[in-house]
Amino acid sequence: MNHKLELRNVTKTFNTEGGEMEALEDINLEVKPNEFLCIIGPSGCGKTTLLRLIAGLDYPNSGEIILDGKEVIGPSPDRGMVFQEFSLFPWRTVLKNVEFGLEIKRVGDKARREIAEKYIELVGLKGFENCYPYELSGGMKQRVAIARALATEPAILLMDEPFGSVDAQTRNILQEELLEIWKRTKKTVLFVTHSVDEAVYLADRVAVMSARPGCLVKCLDIDIPRPRKRTSMEVNEFREKLLMLISLERSKACISV
Amino acid sequence: MRLPAKEKWLWLVPLIAVLLLWEFTAGYVIKNPLFLPRFSAVIFSIYVLREVLIPDILVSLLHFGIGLALAFAAALPLAIGMGWSRNIFKAIDPIIEILRPIPPLAWIPIAMIWFHLTHYAAGFIIFIGAFFPILIDSYTGFRDVPKVLVETGKVLGCIGNKKQIKYVAFPYALPSIATGTRVGMGVGWMCVVAAEMFGVSDSGLGYRLFQKFYFLHQMDYVVAYMLVLGLVALCLDHLFRHFVEDKLLKWKKGIVK
Repeated sequence: MNHKLELRNVTKTFNTEGGEMEALEDINLEVKPNEFLCIIGPSGCGKTTLLRLIAGLDYPNSGEIILDGKEVIGPSPDRGMVFQEFSLFPWRTVLKNVEFGLEIKRVGDKARREIAEKYIELVGLKGFENCYPYELSGGMKQRVAIARALATEPAILLMDEPFGSVDAQTRNILQEELLEIWKRTKKTVLFVTHSVDEAVYLADRVAVMSARPGCLVKCLDIDIPRPRKRTSMEVNEFREKLLMLISLERSKACISV
Repeated sequence: MRLPAKEKWLWLVPLIAVLLLWEFTAGYVIKNPLFLPRFSAVIFSIYVLREVLIPDILVSLLHFGIGLALAFAAALPLAIGMGWSRNIFKAIDPIIEILRPIPPLAWIPIAMIWFHLTHYAAGFIIFIGAFFPILIDSYTGFRDVPKVLVETGKVLGCIGNKKQIKYVAFPYALPSIATGTRVGMGVGWMCVVAAEMFGVSDSGLGYRLFQKFYFLHQMDYVVAYMLVLGLVALCLDHLFRHFVEDKLLKWKKGIVK
């Protein structure tokens, strides 16, 4: 079986003032090429930590993270990341933000511009190239962040609740656009969210996590054909199934605490 | 900033009112030019002094330039180190905090012994005055770089201190560096007068101001030099704002105004 990304027995503990805190316990996960995987779980379950480990921003205490057959040992532009909070460089225009990774890679001026413009167009921001981030709305900022993450042509796109801080209507539009981008670029996407609706609308497969210590409880395939209708019967049924699973996990966690 | 024609000249009204008040009070209420020379007398003195003023302005600007350039050159690298690395901060901060409260003027005897009656002696006092504001504002800028921007840089390939400082921390800290420099320029200019007055120099605006008072009690000349000191500083500040804040910090607009 050919996996894009593989997590083997990944464990992460943090040293806090109150002693060691186990954030992730024995995570095993395989992600197929071109798959759209959502990771869902209650807040504090370590889903962001998991994504940060894959990005190389933190290191696991034990276990391995393997991307395209190579072990992850630190951050690298082969894993694009979109953060939950707005992360544009405020001193750079939209164009310069998208060019950032290419500039670091020392891609020539002309090629850099061409690539950046291609991705700016992909996220629907043509005409805003010379705007500064303060001139953009929240949704537009996240689109620039997506374009910037894609510009270095990463093997996998990691998204940490990227639409968490935009309003509900914009979020719906951004979700549709993300699916379109995913279809066109054929990227593997790992998308962390706490929203059941979002997961059911977007994902090929959803991985459910439980809290303290964070571990993967279950992976569910969502075989509803796209384009999905948010209010359709099948979507609703799946949503219900997922909600049940999550509340079950939550009650278990309460008992163990 | 574009203002309608009327508002553009609004500042002139209180200014003219204050000058008229000064002229009237000095001429008809106080009636003693030693106590308060009239505004018209001061303007006339500037006219009389016009030819000797220029070399003194240039000498003072030279002292100022030496001091400010050295202060900037010394403070910036130190600020990068102190802002970026907690250990460097912990090591150097105590020394800075011992030296900082010493008034620049207290260094005058040392300046005279070290540099005798050269331009460097006055430059040294200005250096002391400008160094600390530039250092403290700048390292605050480097210290406060948001983690998410550094991490965004990392996942885009900006790895290692040198690159992170160049591409992320420095641009982020630029407004703080500018603020520190502006404050440093203000303190530095105050030190110009003091340094020259207390005999570290045998020319310059400060020296001449005190000489007119000490030997001749010519208060209209004294006030003339005071006005020139103020006007030169005003020009310096405007130049700075024009070249640095308006050109370099365009992107701050959304945050400040």
